Amino acid sequence: MANELDNIELRPARRRFMQSSAALAMTLIAPGVLLYKTGQAQSENEPGSDNKGLPATPRWGLLIDTNALSEADVDACVAACQQEHGWHSDAGSQTAAQWIRKVHLTDEQSGQQTVLPMMCQHCADPPCVDVCPTGASFKRADGIVLVNKHTCIGCRYCMMACPYKARSFIHEVLRDQLAVAPRGKGTVESCTLCVHRIDRDGANAVPACAEAVNRGGRKAILFGDLNDPDSEISQRAKSHGATRLRADLGVDPGVRYQGL
Amino acid sequence: MPAATRFTEIKTSTPQYWGLLLLLAILAAAGIGAAHHMDVEGHHISGMNNQVVWGLPHVFAIFLIVAASGALNLASMASVFGKVEYKPLARFSAVLSIALLVGGLAVLLLDLGRPDRLIVAITHYNFRSIFAWNIILYSGFIVIVLAYLWLMMERRFERWSRPAGMFAFAWRLILTSGTGSIFGFLVAREAYDSALLAPMFIVMSFSFGLAVFILLLLASFKLDQRELDGIHLQRLRKLLGLFSIGILYFVILFHMTKLYGSQNHDFERFILLDGGVYTRLFWLFQIILGTLLPLFLLYAPRWQHSSKSLVLACLLIIQGGFAQLYVIIIGGQAFPLNIFPGYHVESSFFDGVISAYSPSLWELLLGFAGLASALLIALLVLRVLPILPQNLPGAED
Amino acid sequence: MLSALLGWFACLPAAAGEVESSGFGAVVIPQPVKPTNASACVEPVDIMRRDHMKFLLHQRDATVLEGERDSKYSLVGCMDCHNATEPAETVVRYPDPQHFCAGCHLYASVKIDCFECHADRSLKQLQQGRLDQPLEDQFPEDQPGSALLSLHTFHQQLGDTGGE
Repeated sequence: MANELDNIELRPARRRFMQSSAALAMTLIAPGVLLYKTGQAQSENEPGSDNKGLPATPRWGLLIDTNALSEADVDACVAACQQEHGWHSDAGSQTAAQWIRKVHLTDEQSGQQTVLPMMCQHCADPPCVDVCPTGASFKRADGIVLVNKHTCIGCRYCMMACPYKARSFIHEVLRDQLAVAPRGKGTVESCTLCVHRIDRDGANAVPACAEAVNRGGRKAILFGDLNDPDSEISQRAKSHGATRLRADLGVDPGVRYQGL
Repeated sequence: MPAATRFTEIKTSTPQYWGLLLLLAILAAAGIGAAHHMDVEGHHISGMNNQVVWGLPHVFAIFLIVAASGALNLASMASVFGKVEYKPLARFSAVLSIALLVGGLAVLLLDLGRPDRLIVAITHYNFRSIFAWNIILYSGFIVIVLAYLWLMMERRFERWSRPAGMFAFAWRLILTSGTGSIFGFLVAREAYDSALLAPMFIVMSFSFGLAVFILLLLASFKLDQRELDGIHLQRLRKLLGLFSIGILYFVILFHMTKLYGSQNHDFERFILLDGGVYTRLFWLFQIILGTLLPLFLLYAPRWQHSSKSLVLACLLIIQGGFAQLYVIIIGGQAFPLNIFPGYHVESSFFDGVISAYSPSLWELLLGFAGLASALLIALLVLRVLPILPQNLPGAED
Repeated sequence: MLSALLGWFACLPAAAGEVESSGFGAVVIPQPVKPTNASACVEPVDIMRRDHMKFLLHQRDATVLEGERDSKYSLVGCMDCHNATEPAETVVRYPDPQHFCAGCHLYASVKIDCFECHADRSLKQLQQGRLDQPLEDQFPEDQPGSALLSLHTFHQQLGDTGGE
């Protein structure tokens, strides 16, 4: 037994063969692995990255001009969303869902008052997507953050994680859901950016809240492709500026505000 | 070398024993019924809402899970740190650990909005989620500690119990850090967003786990109509005090850090000064009754050898733990998100205001069901398997 | 043995199916009402009977994750044909055995939870907003939500129709 072991030690040829074949294999496989990893990393970090000639994926977003919105306008936004999706919210109810809400702001220093609509911000790096245990909270390739209610187990962790309090949990049995907005007890929901309209109309889509306030050519809530530098939303953001709420968190919301 | 320890099942058949089992079974059934009612009616019957999404059941669940992790400490001290005087208690430690974790996990799962989707939860994993990791860590913990227990009990494989114990110890450190990180990883909320929460939860596990362990050990011996000697209790007493000081250290550090710089002053004022129930819970029930008074009971010379003071200290530490978790979990959610720094905010969705939460009966029943099922499992296992040591070395001292 | 088992289902409504007699009483096999606005389903009947769930499960992922809404397998499409009674008549909601899906699913005792979230009526009925028979009137107050219909509720409701 000991002799055999000694023989193996004294056979450098076998060792060299193993070493050279391993080196050859690594040389062949390594570039492929490197390219694959780089490709993955790029598509993960930059959803809109140009794939060398292929059209970049759109990133849908909203630009909300608070100066152009009166309180009645914001109420109309909320009502339009309710009508489109079939949710409603009794005043003062702690458990009622609110996909979009009217927010009154008063600057603590100057006293200036602003009213704005607040909904899911459709972040590029959403905390709700990070924390969902089943992956039900997900971000589509076009930037819309949704809840896959088939997989949602109702743990509400995403509600803990959202910096904008965008999500609602359904606390009761629902019976009169609309076809475009399936929603049910025990799952979590939030603004879908009217994804059913976007899937139908693409860049020409108008979310219900925008439809309620955009009139006479003036678009107080502008929907568009943030990845397209020539789109109206990109142009307006460039010329008039756009604020992201809680920009310090680094989640890069797709919903941006003007006039804040 | 101490004489080989003999282990035995609980053999009593007193009315107290069966009465206790019956009570625990009723509590467990009531809680399961409450969970079913919440599932059928929807969570609107609970006190939880869109502002405070995790409530009393989660306080119970996290306490049980943290205590489960800490209850394994005794076995770890024997297997990992070589303190052989605790070896006779190692089996009980493992059994209690599994029972508490099962109880805590049950509460967590029964509170889900869609508990019927448990299969989805264990087949769909988002590995960026610490919650998903925790599901794996919790179920893995049960399997690992079961294996560890078996290796301890199977005399042929006694020597494998040491590596198993080390593995279990490492696993539970990761598990408890994961539990603390459920909150620590949340950057959005001022109450969380801190790396300190993970080690704080680890020290909490040491303390709560040991307190529960001591209480149940004494109770089990009492049920079996036997006495537990004083030497073991003396050492455990000192450990318990040490762990309480550890928690206090982390709590002080956590709040001092948040107080430094004005960013979190509003939140700290809420918890420490004008948060109503949360402030009361923090100062009176967590700090004074939950940490300072037990320290006094554990270290004061006149009560050094009183088992009554030890029992009282354990009970106070446990209630302090519940208070601490209530402040962390619920107080942390009651304080509003700061979406618009520098602005006063008002909306129909309770932005900018302290959220109200009052626990409902259903949540209380569910929480107690977790506790009751954990105890029930432990007592039943103690009856069926030889877990409790018959003779403890060093008893002559 | 089998007839004893079948006798347990003797309370199925006569209106929804045909009656076959057996030793222990009438057995009603569900015969779902064929829609009048289309000549055939999107797949042959025997394939649909076996595999409709596969189509639905696959389609729901395609819709939610990729935004595909114009497929022939969409649930909205199913309801548009299979629950498209004229507005003048009573609208049938899910737990009612006359609902297309409920008829077979109650018979086979396979619980589905689609309609806990999804609309169980055609688009036309939804748009018209007609609810001739509110759900609350069909079932006693203390009964839980639509998809949790138990056999008990089933029997209770059928007590009115006089099913055997």
